[in-house]
Amino acid sequence: MTPANRMDDESHRPSLRLVAGGVTPARREEEALVAAFLVGDDDAFGELVRRNEVMVLAIVRRYAQTPEDAKDLAQRVFLRAFEAARRSLRKGPRAAVPFRRWLVRVAVNLAKNHRRDGLRIVRAPLEELDRSGGVSTAPAAPDVLVLRERERRMREAVLLLPRRQREVLTLRIDAELPFAEIASSLAITENAAKVSFHHATRALRAALAGEDRP
Amino acid sequence: MTACQDFDVLISLRAAGALDPEESARLEAHLSTCAACRAEAEADAAVLRLAKLPAPTDAERQATSGIVKGALAELHRREGRASSWKRTTAAFAAAAAILVAVLAPAVLGRRPAVPPEDASAVTAAAAWQEPDLDTLWSDAGLLDDDATSSADTAVDAALVAVDL
Repeated sequence: MTPANRMDDESHRPSLRLVAGGVTPARREEEALVAAFLVGDDDAFGELVRRNEVMVLAIVRRYAQTPEDAKDLAQRVFLRAFEAARRSLRKGPRAAVPFRRWLVRVAVNLAKNHRRDGLRIVRAPLEELDRSGGVSTAPAAPDVLVLRERERRMREAVLLLPRRQREVLTLRIDAELPFAEIASSLAITENAAKVSFHHATRALRAALAGEDRP
Repeated sequence: MTACQDFDVLISLRAAGALDPEESARLEAHLSTCAACRAEAEADAAVLRLAKLPAPTDAERQATSGIVKGALAELHRREGRASSWKRTTAAFAAAAAILVAVLAPAVLGRRPAVPPEDASAVTAAAAWQEPDLDTLWSDAGLLDDDATSSADTAVDAALVAVDL
């Protein structure tokens, strides 16, 4: 029995919605893995995490103080997303949302709350680990220091963007998601996502220009 | 210097590498003739280079490895807590049922017959079913360690409402 149809023979259990056309094999596999996990298959859980952990970490690391903090945040994202998927399946097929969409939505919200709840960061892991991977001890050249200071200020400016602009911008430049996926995850149109990205870019340029002014 | 209005969004999307071939060809044709838009394109690209986080270092990758193991451990911890709660509830329910079974004959024997106007209440009581513990547990939201704001709930509801 495949994971996808394990629950078909139990009418009182959540069942996956069958969508005709437009569903990629990857999404079908993901739905099957979610279904398998919801009936207790830990291996399916592991596979889902492995498939998506790079994306989730890419989303949350901007908001985390340390790599360990990012890892903890990512774990919570997976647990919350599974719970959300479980609840939406209980509400019936029409309420079903692709698991990856839950992941993106939950990651964005948890990261935002993480910052709001006082574990906020104006530094990214970059400040604690140099680019070769060790703790930075050697003095950097002045031009490198200037560049890093500009990068630090830019990351602060990103966190100060209006919510929608920040979400779209970071999902694009951190997680490198296509605009169509960003739009569906944030429940907005693709055009709105692109316009938000444009406004975010202009806002960052304005912030940078303001700080560079004497 | 500002970009031509028809191209300003495309210029930002170009910096993000998000143009389709048709858009890209149209914009590149314009950029070849418009210095102002070329300057805007360079400025957008520069700011996004600054805003982008560097790729994770080996040390960061090492520190963030093991998410599967950690998440599974947390999941089992939560499920264990839920099972414990269910066992406790079941024990109380069983004790209450025994108490009712022992006391009911004595109590009911001393009471007058149920008046007709209370018949609907008796019917309702007879129709009562023990609620499903999974549903109660889920509705209580006790599995959530993370605070969920009303805004989050609204977003979730909106997501759920999306007809895919």
